[in-house]
Amino acid sequence: MTNKDIEARKLTSSIAMIVILVSFTMLFASMLLGYSVYRFTVDVWPPMGMPRIPLTIPMVSTFIIALSSATLVLFESSFEKKNLKAMRAYFGLTFLLGLGFMFVQLQLWNSMAAMGLHASGGVFPSLFYALTWTHAAHIVAGLIALLFLLPVAAKGYSVEKITWVQNVSKFWHFLGVVWLVMFIVMFVF
Amino acid sequence: MAFFEQHIHSEPKTFISKYIFSFDHKVIGKQFLWYGIIGLGLGGMMALMIRWTLAFPGEAFPVLGHLLFPSTGGVVPPDTYAMLFTMHGTIMIFYAITPILIGAFGNYLIPLQIGARDMVFPLLNMLSFWIAAASALILVASLCLPLGAAAGGWTSYPTLSTLIGSPGAGQTLWSLALFLLGVSSTMGAVNYITTVIVLRAPGMGYFDMPLSVWGLWLTAILNAIFLPVLGAGLLLLIFDRVFGTTFFLAGAAATTGTGDPILYQHVFWIFGHPEVYILILPAWGIVSDLLSFFARKPAFGAKATALSMTSITILSTLVYGHHMYTTQMSPLLTQTFMTLTMTISIPSAIFFANWLGTIWKGSIRFDTPMIFSLGVVFVFGLGGLTGLYLATVTTDLYLHDTYFVVGHFHYTMAASVLLGGYAAIYFWMPKMFGKFLNEFWGKVHFWITMIGLNGVFMGMMIVGYAGMHRRLYNPFVYEFMEKMIPINTFITYSALLMGLGQIPFVINFVYTIFFKKEKEPVPNNPWNVGTLEWTIPSPSPVYNFKEIPVVKCGPHELGNPNLPEGKDFQYQTEEIVEA
Ligand code: HEM
Ligand SMILES: [Cu+2]
Repeated sequence: MTNKDIEARKLTSSIAMIVILVSFTMLFASMLLGYSVYRFTVDVWPPMGMPRIPLTIPMVSTFIIALSSATLVLFESSFEKKNLKAMRAYFGLTFLLGLGFMFVQLQLWNSMAAMGLHASGGVFPSLFYALTWTHAAHIVAGLIALLFLLPVAAKGYSVEKITWVQNVSKFWHFLGVVWLVMFIVMFVF
Repeated sequence: MAFFEQHIHSEPKTFISKYIFSFDHKVIGKQFLWYGIIGLGLGGMMALMIRWTLAFPGEAFPVLGHLLFPSTGGVVPPDTYAMLFTMHGTIMIFYAITPILIGAFGNYLIPLQIGARDMVFPLLNMLSFWIAAASALILVASLCLPLGAAAGGWTSYPTLSTLIGSPGAGQTLWSLALFLLGVSSTMGAVNYITTVIVLRAPGMGYFDMPLSVWGLWLTAILNAIFLPVLGAGLLLLIFDRVFGTTFFLAGAAATTGTGDPILYQHVFWIFGHPEVYILILPAWGIVSDLLSFFARKPAFGAKATALSMTSITILSTLVYGHHMYTTQMSPLLTQTFMTLTMTISIPSAIFFANWLGTIWKGSIRFDTPMIFSLGVVFVFGLGGLTGLYLATVTTDLYLHDTYFVVGHFHYTMAASVLLGGYAAIYFWMPKMFGKFLNEFWGKVHFWITMIGLNGVFMGMMIVGYAGMHRRLYNPFVYEFMEKMIPINTFITYSALLMGLGQIPFVINFVYTIFFKKEKEPVPNNPWNVGTLEWTIPSPSPVYNFKEIPVVKCGPHELGNPNLPEGKDFQYQTEEIVEA
């Protein structure tokens, strides 16, 4: 591929990626809008008789997903530097952290169930389940997208894969940001 | 402009790669066209059953009735009636009009009119069609469920659509089908938006794009932004129905905080109002082009038309509240929404005046695509004007949920979008299939459709104004409406007429594509217009353009007095002739 082709590819895929991320943003924004509507129209929150969800587990999630974003950035830069060894290490780490995030989410749902918060128990638990489910489904999609970078991690740098690396990481970082917003809006406040 | 040039694809060899799993935007466009036409037939049959019930309550639906409703002796039962208007609305909007205007013509026209060899992401394009197909399959399958398909209206408001309102699986499948369709449309939107930005032929600025491409592009932007909002609402609805969450259950579990059915309405209309523009913008664009082509004049104020389409797009995102005046929203809010809604009249008026300016003193050729376009001007005018009554809070409080609303939205969505779609089909037929539709039958089709349609929708507005409520199985149990039976019978006969009027079209279409032999090959440019798709052979070859064209002028260079004798248009690849 010529330089011009690569530039064109980068431009094309970044435009497409912007559109895609705008779409996903609207999806999560609508859900958070719904959350805020319920949150601001009741007098007591959590509603009578509902326990507050402790911050510990969500904090661990936040930490893990932030870390995975960081390792992904390192993966990208080692990709640019064509450092195969570092590339493999950071790819593995990112993927493991992603799995770890999912594992912690399972713990979160278990702990909520143990507190007596079930999806059908009223709007308060409904919101927490529905939003975390939706986010988790996207994390799964993100993990699958990461798998598409396996060839890169195996074979190393190639110009053809630049856009792949960039786009998958944009998606992954986006999910991190969404989680951060969810964490602040839903768990901290 | 033209950030890169796509290479020439080799021709697909097998039947499957050519017609079924095709990557070619032209084939995908045709697939969507068939998909939409089938949807139109299905939704149309349902409309006739609804109408029959309203004109002849308690009488068996002719021919099909005994087959479909044996238990009642062919009469449409009340619960089925609710199912029918729900599925009719859903199918017409999402599975007929959308695939024809956006799926078929979006795919077909965008690359051809901007001088590209295909969409930027052909694989994504193919996936988008097949996901749409899966979605249609799910929706149609829901008709065969023991408890029937969804019956909460095309808006599926809770509590009608919660498990309490509709216990069967129909509503769940409906939500799933629409969610999938949203995914498919979003994929399409990503493709359209990117294609228009990166693949315009060298020299083609945004204002050199035909207005059809403008309409389709703005539509794609609205789709990408607002479909996910509906997606969120549908997801929550699915969670409510499948996992027992309580988002939309009013009064559920009083001790633990209740759900809110009105929230669904907000989410639905934040999407839903832009959606009506999603439908209308492509039709507007196509009609703006066709009026200019057949009046043999440059489109009047083409730039202003494009800009008012853009401002309507932007405004359309701010006015959704006018669908919810009756939900006890604060009067402060209703006033705000009313004012914002009225603001749309300004760009709309500019836009409409430009249409009239385009045909003013033109040397109009009354070919079938043109009369359909003129039809759009007429019915959209009516639809737009009646919208003012619904945007006004005071009148809407009375008219809301009467047949006046139904008449209004049929004038705008059903009538003008449908006629725009037909205009496009008649116009691009030679480019798509290399054959002409029969002109005579095209005109018969137009006039019957036009007469039938106005009979139906004008009638609906009249009975609505008189207070006839929509969505009722038998509104004539109310004494004041008994006198409206004759006019309802009239509406139904008009609907039958309109239904019959589609037969010449279907025969014409099927006959032309599969059986007609043109005596001579269709010329590259039968209509004598200058946009890029007419510079290549008809039907267009797989790779569209052998040489990527270089654009030198706008799409409507018609009737330039400095042109040499016998020529009245210029290709976009030609330098404008100066005196
Ligand atoms: C022959 C043409 C048509 C006839 C006779 C017809 C007739 C009807 C009737 C009688 C209703 C029920 C109104 C009610 O009870 O509220 C209805 C609803 C509806 N129609 Fe049509 N229609 C036609 C074409 C179309 C087209 C082309 C569209 C596409 C945009 C469309 C979209 C709708 C929608 C969205 C509803 C609302 C359904 C609901 O209340 O959930 N119709 N139509
Ligand atoms: Cu609206």
